Amino acid sequence: MTSIPLIETRTLSKSYFNEDVETAVLFDIDLRIEQGEFVAIMGPSGSGKSTLMHILGFLDTPTSGAYLFKGKPTVDLDDDALARIRALSVSFVFQSFNLLPRTTVFENVMLPLLYHPSIPEREREERVKHAIEMVGLTDRSGHLSNQLSGGQQQRVAIARSLVTEPEVIFADEPTGNLDSASGVAVMATLQELHRLGHTIILVTHEQTTAEFAQRIIHIHDGRIHSDTRNARQKSAAQVHALK
Amino acid sequence: MQLLDTFGVALRGILSNKTRSMLTMLGIVIGVGSVVLMTSLGASVSGLILGQVSSLGANTMVIFPSTVEGGGGVPRVGFDSLTFDDVTALSQLSTVRTLSPVIFVPGEATYGSQKSQPQVIGTTENFFINQSVTAKLGRLIDAQDDQGSRAVALLGPDTAKDLFGDQNPVGLRIKIKDSSFLVIGVANSLGSQFFQNADQRIYVPYSIAKAITGQRYVNYMTFTAATDSDLALADVNAFLRQRHKIINPLNDPKKDDFVVHSSKQAADILGSVSLSLTIFLTLIAAISLVVGGIGIMNIMLVSVTERTREIGLRKAVGARGKDILLQFLIESTLLTLIGGLIGIVSGVLLALLIALIAKKFLATYVFAVSFGAIFLAIGVAGSVGLIFGIYPARRAARLHPIEALRYE
Ligand SMILES: Nc1ncnc2c1ncn2[C@@H]1O[C@H](COP(=O)(O)OP(=O)(O)O)[C@@H](O)[C@H]1O
Ligand SMILES: [Mg+2]
Repeated sequence: MTSIPLIETRTLSKSYFNEDVETAVLFDIDLRIEQGEFVAIMGPSGSGKSTLMHILGFLDTPTSGAYLFKGKPTVDLDDDALARIRALSVSFVFQSFNLLPRTTVFENVMLPLLYHPSIPEREREERVKHAIEMVGLTDRSGHLSNQLSGGQQQRVAIARSLVTEPEVIFADEPTGNLDSASGVAVMATLQELHRLGHTIILVTHEQTTAEFAQRIIHIHDGRIHSDTRNARQKSAAQVHALK
Repeated sequence: MQLLDTFGVALRGILSNKTRSMLTMLGIVIGVGSVVLMTSLGASVSGLILGQVSSLGANTMVIFPSTVEGGGGVPRVGFDSLTFDDVTALSQLSTVRTLSPVIFVPGEATYGSQKSQPQVIGTTENFFINQSVTAKLGRLIDAQDDQGSRAVALLGPDTAKDLFGDQNPVGLRIKIKDSSFLVIGVANSLGSQFFQNADQRIYVPYSIAKAITGQRYVNYMTFTAATDSDLALADVNAFLRQRHKIINPLNDPKKDDFVVHSSKQAADILGSVSLSLTIFLTLIAAISLVVGGIGIMNIMLVSVTERTREIGLRKAVGARGKDILLQFLIESTLLTLIGGLIGIVSGVLLALLIALIAKKFLATYVFAVSFGAIFLAIGVAGSVGLIFGIYPARRAARLHPIEALRYE
């Protein structure tokens, strides 16, 4: 008996339509990701990585094929139901951080809790403090987001992504706007979260970044090219110590 | 998401960009402020006007002479249509009470070297009843003074001040034209009537005024209606037309040689004038509220565009369309409510300032605020925020999360 995968797609395809012009971006994606994995989706720019991640993260919907989340088809979900899943089960770390400007670190991390349907208000502060501690920014929690360095901002975004304890964290080029040292520090944080049991799906075009993951899925022109275990998984913490 | 959280988010949205919020509110501040100011001024002015009329007494009526062609209204010396016989006959009517004729005695009054230019009124004691004149010092003119044609005078308070300053004039003698009069009293202040100073008067007995002027007619008469004032009006009209042999079934004022006014009628006319003035001013103010609402919509639309990425982020972390909709609706409604409150405070303060200045010129001007208008204005302001907030809020709520996040 095989367990039900967290994420499963069957011949999933995606096209964009702009004024009746169809741009096909993803073709026949078949994918299984289990609970607790750390997967890198790798490929050149424009290959469809972000599009795939948005569909898997319920920010967008496929044009055809099936997407099953925890074994349940998602095709019938309306906008409100998709928003509920985003509140409960998934979270995102974006390349450009996307923090609220002129707002403190604490309030930025609090944001997803405002939209969470079940976490009670009295637990909020504790959770926010804990998430900020996880990314090592406790001493900055009263700072405004724009007063932080890029690496610190991305760690705030990571704290925001784990404050609701979602079932999967999506990170789209999380190191793309960072210098290599800050980038490795961010990857170390993600590896630590994975070690603690979080499912992480990383999107990147860099081989060096992808090598911090357990499993690497190569994607080219909207098709899966290869899907392999990463035999040479690096420890970001060690790389960081070497630098 | 809880409503309280949405309120918090909306409030933070307002506070995080104070300049934008102020600009958004400006139209509403001006709109609500002018509604409150205009209705307050309207209430003060109508109070002022009604005060002029009501000092005559609610049931008081006046008969003026007029020429057949010209309209009457203002008592002009020389209109001789109301005779002494008319006075006697009218006082017998069952609908007429306390009829008092008035004859004006032209000329200035002097006491030693002090001079005054009063309105000298020859009349009977009924006049004091009709106009609620009471004596501050001494006594009023009575029936014996009239029957005995005594040369006595009751001074209006302003005339007394002109001639005697703070001295008690009772028992002293003044001159009117060339005749000497004994001052028997000083009247209490009446203020102004129809914007004429009623305190700059001297009252003398009717019989004396007749003798001095040699006049065969009266300048006007006052009386109170024994029953309903409309009934009395009709009765007096019919009676005088019969006596003056005027056929005027259609009540054409041009055909009569007299005109009867009731203070109720005057109050109604002035009241409706000030009401339509208030409505007109309020309408203008209401238009400025709508303009303010359109301003709000514009700035909210700009705000939605500016915050596209923020909206995208909120959706990415789980906000539903309705959460975003509510956030922006609460934001625009809160903005207009705060703007409305500021508008009310500034409108009231401005009305108070105007009242303080106006009081220097018109003693009877009173500061008035219309609480109805205040509640209406704040209600309208809130609705303006809600209604003009809907379109931008829907735009925000419908944004696609990915497109919103990618927005530059
Ligand atoms: N809204 C859209 N409309 C049309 N084409 C799009 C849209 N979004 C992305 N694309 C196209 O889809 C392709 C894949 O984009 P994306 O998933 O962002 O690639 P990656 O993240 O791998 O760089 C690109 O060619 C891009 O131009
Ligand atoms: Mg991308």
